[in-house]
Amino acid sequence: MLINNEFNEEKIQSPQQYIWSIFKSKNIAVVSMWAVVALILIAIFCQYIMPYPPALQHPDMLLLPPYWVDGSNPAHLLGTDDLGRDTFSRLLKGIQLTLTGALLITVAISLLGLIIGSTAALLKGVKASIVHHLLDALLTIPTLLTALILIVLFGMSFENSLLAVSLSLLPQFIRGIYNCIETELNKQYVVALRLDGSTNLRLLRYGILPNIIEPIVTLLNRIFTMAVLEITTLGFLGFGANLEEIELGALIAKNLDLIYISPYLVLFPGLAIFMIIIIFNIFAEGIRHAVIEGED
Amino acid sequence: MFNYLIRRLYLLCITSIILTIIAFSIQHLTVGNTLDSNVFSQYLDYLISISQGELGVSALDNQPILKTALIAFISTLELCFFAFIFASIIGVPLGILAGLERNRGIDYSIMSIALIGLALPVFWVAIIFTMLPNLTGWVMPIDGNISVIYEVPMVTGIMLIDSLLVSEQYQLSAFYNHLVHIVLPATVLAIFLISEIIRLTRHSITMIMRSNYIKAAHTKGFSRPQIVYRHVLKNAIPPIIHQLRLQISTIISFAMAIEIVFSYQGAGMWLFVSIQQGDYLALSTAILIISGFILILSIIVDLLLVLISPTKRKVLYADQ
Repeated sequence: MLINNEFNEEKIQSPQQYIWSIFKSKNIAVVSMWAVVALILIAIFCQYIMPYPPALQHPDMLLLPPYWVDGSNPAHLLGTDDLGRDTFSRLLKGIQLTLTGALLITVAISLLGLIIGSTAALLKGVKASIVHHLLDALLTIPTLLTALILIVLFGMSFENSLLAVSLSLLPQFIRGIYNCIETELNKQYVVALRLDGSTNLRLLRYGILPNIIEPIVTLLNRIFTMAVLEITTLGFLGFGANLEEIELGALIAKNLDLIYISPYLVLFPGLAIFMIIIIFNIFAEGIRHAVIEGED
Repeated sequence: MFNYLIRRLYLLCITSIILTIIAFSIQHLTVGNTLDSNVFSQYLDYLISISQGELGVSALDNQPILKTALIAFISTLELCFFAFIFASIIGVPLGILAGLERNRGIDYSIMSIALIGLALPVFWVAIIFTMLPNLTGWVMPIDGNISVIYEVPMVTGIMLIDSLLVSEQYQLSAFYNHLVHIVLPATVLAIFLISEIIRLTRHSITMIMRSNYIKAAHTKGFSRPQIVYRHVLKNAIPPIIHQLRLQISTIISFAMAIEIVFSYQGAGMWLFVSIQQGDYLALSTAILIISGFILILSIIVDLLLVLISPTKRKVLYADQ
């Protein structure tokens, strides 16, 4: 085999490749990445993984415990609830709804927030101060209160609760982006780019955005975490989901009466929320470390 | 300093005007008022009624809604206060330790605890905590602010002081009873707060340990405790306070979710019950009270920061 090493070409890695190579070298980060992929696959192919339809009732098998406890039935891996519905299927359905909701919110907020935040940071004068004061006012309203108000205005449904959560988290993200760009604008290379005569758009694309990846990852991670927590909180309070759409918080609320008879019904959805958040947090932390090391 | 004060007060005015507009439009959209067709004059009336402290009467119990809301919100603040004290006592030393021992075993274990604390959904932890007395056999109340056998008259509105004032009748047992009722909800809120404080403290400490004056102190031959007490802590505390100031609204919204699980009579429970029974006047009142409180508190914290930290003052003078 001919080894083509005649002209010893030195390849210089692009920053993205360099960050990726650092990311690959960390075991926990790679494991969490595959866990994230697995969660997303579960959310997409939920229909095909579920052993039973989530609303199917088995009247002869009520309140079964999970398979490792005595008196369980191997047909229902994680047991059943008081109407004989399979816990595992309901859990998967709940994960699908919560995760897709949170991911949708994160994507929508990041797009909208980037546009509004960078516009606000690059503007000057009256327009900028209007945005500034409006954000200040919106930030003082607790997110749960905002979500409750929007749900009262729009009516109760899962879609509206998603809308409410995203609108209540949007000011935080805009403020975060605004602060990042504001600190970046005072640096010397931005002044140099300005002296070169670059337009605002070019300044943003080549000057600022590549340098604020790390704070953006942190912000997005925070927004995702808060989105999961708020969707489930609204579901738990009974403002989000209806009977068909059992997202994880609503699942906990529905099973709350059974907590002394079969605590697993409350334990599992909570653990599922915990796992979703912790997996995404470790993944984001891995990216953040890779970006920081790549910049050094 | 004077200029700074004026600027903050000016910001306070504009932000509170925006808040009243938001509150007014919510009230307009939910409750509605068809007496006068002109929205602008209605808004002026609304402003006048706010300045007189008359926000209307609750549809549920015909009491003035401002009084109910204030009493409920003060209970929430009591909860947040206890949780905050508890969390600072535990969180700050752990955060300092993690920041000083960066990238060692102890740092990783403390940060894992912080990560877990942040990832646990608060209402679920609250449910688990309501089960704890049953599982472990402690005698702990899990609902309400105080046992119904105590009749505490409303004097200041703050239950902590009110229950002390009836000590002639109950010999402090009402006070202890109220404290015991707060313990579990405050612990749940503190779990979230501890992990937040640990993260902030660690970040702030590591930033300062990298700076040049710490290296200079090392070369002078100071021992590590000396450096930490004289240089690190003084400079690390202001950024933590500043970051926590931005989190106040998150803390209050978590406290509201916890209250609903423990049926603790605070702002969360009051809002929840009001919305479920269709008394939407509660929404605009809640915005005025809670956001107004957060606004005023954040300005006070800003002023405090300027007073205690010379670096903030430097920025101030450069502005002029």
